[in-house]
Amino acid sequence: MNIKIEKKEEKIEKEKWIGKKVTQVLSKEKVTGKIKYPSDQYVENLIWGKVLRSKYPHALIKKIDISKALELKGVITVLTYKDIPGLNGFGIAVQDQPVLCHDKVRYLGDAIALVACDSKDLLDKALELIEVEYELLPVVDDPLKAKENIPTKVHENGNIHLHTVINKGDIEKGFREADLIIENEYRTGRQEHAYLETESGFAFYDEEEDMITVFCGGQYPFRDQIQIARVLAVDPRKVRVINEPMGGGFGGKDEITTQIHLALLAYHTKRPVKMEINRDESIIFSWKRHPMILKYKTGVRKDGTLVANEVYIYADTGAYASLGGPIVNLSVEHSCGPYRIPNTHIEGFCIYTNNGVSGAFRGFGVNQVTFAMESQIDEIADKLNMDPVELRRKNILEKGDETGIGSKIETSVGLKKILDEIEKHPLYKNREKIKIDSSDYKKFGVGIALSYQGTGLGVGLPDYGSAWIEMRRDGGFNVYSGSVELGQGAKTTLKLIALESLKLSDEDKVFIITGDTYLTPDCGTTTASGATYRSGRAINIASQKMIEILKKEVSEIYKIPFDEIKVDDGVFKNLNDEKIISYEDLAEILYDKRRLPRTEGHFNFPTSKTKIPGVFGLPHYIFSFSGSIALVQVNTLTGKTDLIKAVNLIDGGRVVNKIGFEGQSEGGIVMGMGYALMEDVLIKNGEFLVKNYSTYLIPTSMDSPYEIETIPIESFEELGPYGSKGIGETTMVPIAPAITNAIFNATGKRVKQIPATPERVFFSLHPQNINMVSDTKMT
Amino acid sequence: MKEFEYYRAKNLKEALNYSKTFGKNKRFLAGGTDLIVRLKDNLIKEENIIDIQNIEELKGINEVNDEIHIGALTTFSEIIESDLLKKYSPLIVEASKKVGSPQIRNKGTIGGNICNASPAGDSIPPLFCEDAKLFLESSSDSRIVNIEDFFIGPGKTILKDDEILVKIIIKKWKKGESGFFNKLGQRNALTIAIASSCIKIKKSDGRIDDIKIALGSVSPTVVRAKRVENLLKNLKEFNKDELIKICNEVEKEIDPITDVRGSREYRIEVSKYLVFEALNNSLNLRG
Repeated sequence: MNIKIEKKEEKIEKEKWIGKKVTQVLSKEKVTGKIKYPSDQYVENLIWGKVLRSKYPHALIKKIDISKALELKGVITVLTYKDIPGLNGFGIAVQDQPVLCHDKVRYLGDAIALVACDSKDLLDKALELIEVEYELLPVVDDPLKAKENIPTKVHENGNIHLHTVINKGDIEKGFREADLIIENEYRTGRQEHAYLETESGFAFYDEEEDMITVFCGGQYPFRDQIQIARVLAVDPRKVRVINEPMGGGFGGKDEITTQIHLALLAYHTKRPVKMEINRDESIIFSWKRHPMILKYKTGVRKDGTLVANEVYIYADTGAYASLGGPIVNLSVEHSCGPYRIPNTHIEGFCIYTNNGVSGAFRGFGVNQVTFAMESQIDEIADKLNMDPVELRRKNILEKGDETGIGSKIETSVGLKKILDEIEKHPLYKNREKIKIDSSDYKKFGVGIALSYQGTGLGVGLPDYGSAWIEMRRDGGFNVYSGSVELGQGAKTTLKLIALESLKLSDEDKVFIITGDTYLTPDCGTTTASGATYRSGRAINIASQKMIEILKKEVSEIYKIPFDEIKVDDGVFKNLNDEKIISYEDLAEILYDKRRLPRTEGHFNFPTSKTKIPGVFGLPHYIFSFSGSIALVQVNTLTGKTDLIKAVNLIDGGRVVNKIGFEGQSEGGIVMGMGYALMEDVLIKNGEFLVKNYSTYLIPTSMDSPYEIETIPIESFEELGPYGSKGIGETTMVPIAPAITNAIFNATGKRVKQIPATPERVFFSLHPQNINMVSDTKMT
Repeated sequence: MKEFEYYRAKNLKEALNYSKTFGKNKRFLAGGTDLIVRLKDNLIKEENIIDIQNIEELKGINEVNDEIHIGALTTFSEIIESDLLKKYSPLIVEASKKVGSPQIRNKGTIGGNICNASPAGDSIPPLFCEDAKLFLESSSDSRIVNIEDFFIGPGKTILKDDEILVKIIIKKWKKGESGFFNKLGQRNALTIAIASSCIKIKKSDGRIDDIKIALGSVSPTVVRAKRVENLLKNLKEFNKDELIKICNEVEKEIDPITDVRGSREYRIEVSKYLVFEALNNSLNLRG
């Protein structure tokens, strides 16, 4: 054990780039607005496309008449299901969502027809002229009812998309051993990704190459390519997908959004076509975080040892599957938190309704169960009169322990260090003192929470990284990776890994090319906090090969034994540290010989050897861990809660870029506080009550905490590039329960439904419809 | 967005002429922060848009004897920066700070806020507490109305088809007067009120000489809580229990709706607490 630590320290000392603060690639262009997103592209002969979406959340389509729309001057084409050459369906897991609906609509975002016009102004008029006859069906809007055997089915096979059951130990025995049993029902909101750029895009047809190029934000260009090709019934090589630059993804652009519609219009019209999705349309058709109903029963011994956990998860996946199944399985996997619990019974239901569509979103099913489990833990600590850190310390997972679903953790775990840091943090240490500062009716409270997050896709799913590196004539390198820069900083992180692996000292010597099926290798999906890990390792491997080739060349040219050549700061040296030749000069020589090398790196994401019978994708092998401390102020007269200060403690392995790390953490805190306090796309009877950002509220700078502190807990992950794991998701997860636990600490009342809006907090403090009572606090 | 005719009025006379010509079938463009959004959403049925943004006669904040005259086209940013208002009517300044965002405050006008007649208009409750007078003009006539008489319902006012709101007149604050504006939103900026309360108090010798309480977002229009005002005026001693009893009476003065921002029940309950919070702040009570 000690040897490893020494090795790690030695490594850190030698590294030039890893752990530095490096400004994100393209940040200047983004801040100044110079960057050209797909919606900024204009070309000659451009036409405009728009989608006719369903008028009703659930109905049969009896007739679609496009004749009047086609007669309108300026309309170039109107497409329906009849115009789809291949499969009329898409979906990452199962292709149950029609590209253009034929006989049935299942939510308000369902696409029925596509129009293309000369002018943008004509689009709405053209859509109005399409006549659709519907036969209304009852709306399925309650997941709990939907899962029972009700006559109305969203899909022919019924309303349950997935039902996962896990048993570990003996749950009855566990509860018999418990001295205290805590039982609660929790509910979570439907969060919108709120990326800056909507799903707008641009596509064109290249006659010479017979190729369709689709330029649209996305998180996995190679899967977009396959999904498009399948619908057009063409060879995937005839489809080029470029996902960059894009204005944010957060999981919301993992699935198809506008890509297939763009491709269809370009395919039929052979003209460049552009689609601008406005915010109202985006909110209705795009993916959301699954709202969940969570029933928890947790048994614990007097001394704080957790002995049993029974969990029921009901997830509203909306009209189509997308990634609903894998998300619910991740909820199941993480439902017991990062704790050792010998006896568990966990059931997860992924349920179809007509409430929009739910899909991938930063955290991927872990946010909901973490809110529930960390509320349970907080309540147990309160009931047992135990320190919340102490209770957690008694139960946290260590390497070799089993998670709630019975799989062993075999990789690095930073939980103990996170708890130590929480315990000694002044915000936590002084929490009782801070409470005394509460004035009149504005109450302070401090809460904590822990979380963990499986990175990578899990068992049974193809998950790999690839990279190509080529040496340029100027001695620099082009690095090609199929990962996508979503705004998370992947380009910068990968660049740093390339600079480090290629032993360079000049930042400009590496140029990173990402997010394009035509230019880069397939690198899997940019999700599951895995881009650094999978692409970073692939670049690392390709770099090692590159250096080996270059050293061989030097060895041949200078007749120096291979083993006696060192590389440092882009210079080859002999054992006496004397310069042999620089990368630049070597590149000139190799160029003259037409031998500039190109290497490839391939890396399979490590997965667990264990399999959970009947459960796809579980378990995960690599986990990132995190903890949050929240200081809130609750106005007990109105229920309004403000997050005053937040601390994030993140074990994502080694930090590659400190700026990227802090950015992810601070963004995670604000996104997590939005989830905890205000964000919810309200849907009633399949209709959206919230349509744009005037009613769907996300935190402003006036709502964000005065201070966000990010503390890296760098557990060294042996398999990761330079000991790194991944942080994209876990940075936003624990803050939500830390906030609700802080509300409890401040008021003595627990909010069991998020967002903890002023109204919900108010009614938890003041029983409904009862007049103000005289115990209203005034000092 | 549907098509419309656009006219730009250079001065008040021109605007009044357009007003007379088009009557009902026109909308004024003041700051446009609400109108443009509604135009885009196809919520405006009128076919003529009269741009009054450049009319100097409708701008400016002036001291006239014991009154302050605020031009209808005065923006919220100008109100926030106004030394006159900071000194003589700080409630309007406080409320204006709560309007939208810096961009909206730079464009949005107090006259637009009033004529929109939203029960959630942030500048309206303080104007109720100030007993503001509205100066209305048509091409043939002019009149002054009390702000309380101006609103009929959400989006509805007594403004005639050919009239324009020219200015808002308020009395300068006198010695002993204080107040408190309280807006409850779902977040701290760029938000529409779930409920708001504004109070203005005149105290002497530890007694309330005069008090006005206005409540926003809890009725079809902004309303005064006159019963509660009267109960407070008759109060001999300010103890907490008495105040709470009186605040519970707020319920009888309001008639809120349920919408995405909050339920009727919450608005009723929280209004009592908002008044209580305002009193607590203004009276410096010690319980």
